[in-house]
Amino acid sequence: MKTSDILNKTKELFPYISTELFEEQQGRIKVDNERFLNVLAYLRNSSFVHLANIFAVDWIEEKEFELNYNLWSYDHNSSIIVKVGIPREKPEVTTVLDLWEHGQVYEQEIHEFFGIEFAGNPDLSPLFLHNWKEIPPMRKDFDTEEYSKRAFDVGEREGAK
Amino acid sequence: MLNEIEQNRKERQSAWEYVINYFRKRSIWLLHYCTGCGAVELPPVMTSRWDLERFGVGPMATPRQADVFLVTGYASIKTLKRMIRTYEQMPKPRWVIGFGACTINGGIYYKSYNVINKLDRYIPVDIFISGCMPRPEAILAALEELRNMIQRGEAKGYDRYVKNYDWYKKNQKEILEREGSLFGEADDENK
Repeated sequence: MKTSDILNKTKELFPYISTELFEEQQGRIKVDNERFLNVLAYLRNSSFVHLANIFAVDWIEEKEFELNYNLWSYDHNSSIIVKVGIPREKPEVTTVLDLWEHGQVYEQEIHEFFGIEFAGNPDLSPLFLHNWKEIPPMRKDFDTEEYSKRAFDVGEREGAK
Repeated sequence: MLNEIEQNRKERQSAWEYVINYFRKRSIWLLHYCTGCGAVELPPVMTSRWDLERFGVGPMATPRQADVFLVTGYASIKTLKRMIRTYEQMPKPRWVIGFGACTINGGIYYKSYNVINKLDRYIPVDIFISGCMPRPEAILAALEELRNMIQRGEAKGYDRYVKNYDWYKKNQKEILEREGSLFGEADDENK
């Protein structure tokens, strides 16, 4: 089955999504954050068993986070990216752990670096940052240069002689 | 000329210290611990091309038996915690070499939220190597200079750590155990 056929079939089933064939083997699906789990569950059951990655993009001017689920099908040799936009004021989505168990680490990481809540994920503890007190660092409104100055460049080495 | 050198030496250190330093500088054990990307420069230095062992320098597996702590590159905050622990486990005399631009002022990571900028604020560094990356020759030159400093009794980073212990601990705590945001309450509301 070609990627374009998969996209067309998905579009027939879920008329509210928008699809785009990016390359011969790569398609993109954009869906809203209330019904995206239906699309993911359908793709999961139609041979997209491999969740390669989840990544988030902060579109600060559009006031939304975009979650991207990279899926891969071994049967059809095709890759599909499912894009889900979620509002910046209330960043919360349902977890996909029930579909792909190994999504745990990805969700944990995105929660740490973007502050997105994954409802239903039992463990969203910090993975990388130590003693973090600011807003999540990968958000566009976090000023990492200013933070670095305040945290690491304070004072000269007057103490040690 | 020789008498003059001998005279200078005697003013600085006793004959006993001179002998101790003489042997210390000839058996340096490098702690086999690498942070950041500088670690890739060490295998060529230690193997046959540059052959570090001809200077009497070898790798050591545990901090309890090591003399020189080579910080190879950037140190994230979690790494810093382990580095302090490692450094404090090493017996005196101990020396630290800061390797590459990242240990001096942050290098290309000076804007990063998770990488310290000045290593010297947290553990005392005896000698820095500039460059990103430093060539193996630079490492050899730094070790040679460190050996000379040990002989002259100048590499006293471990004494500096003891004398300024409060200052170092304060700097370490500022990062590892900070309470509250650096940007204040107003910025928190944007969450």
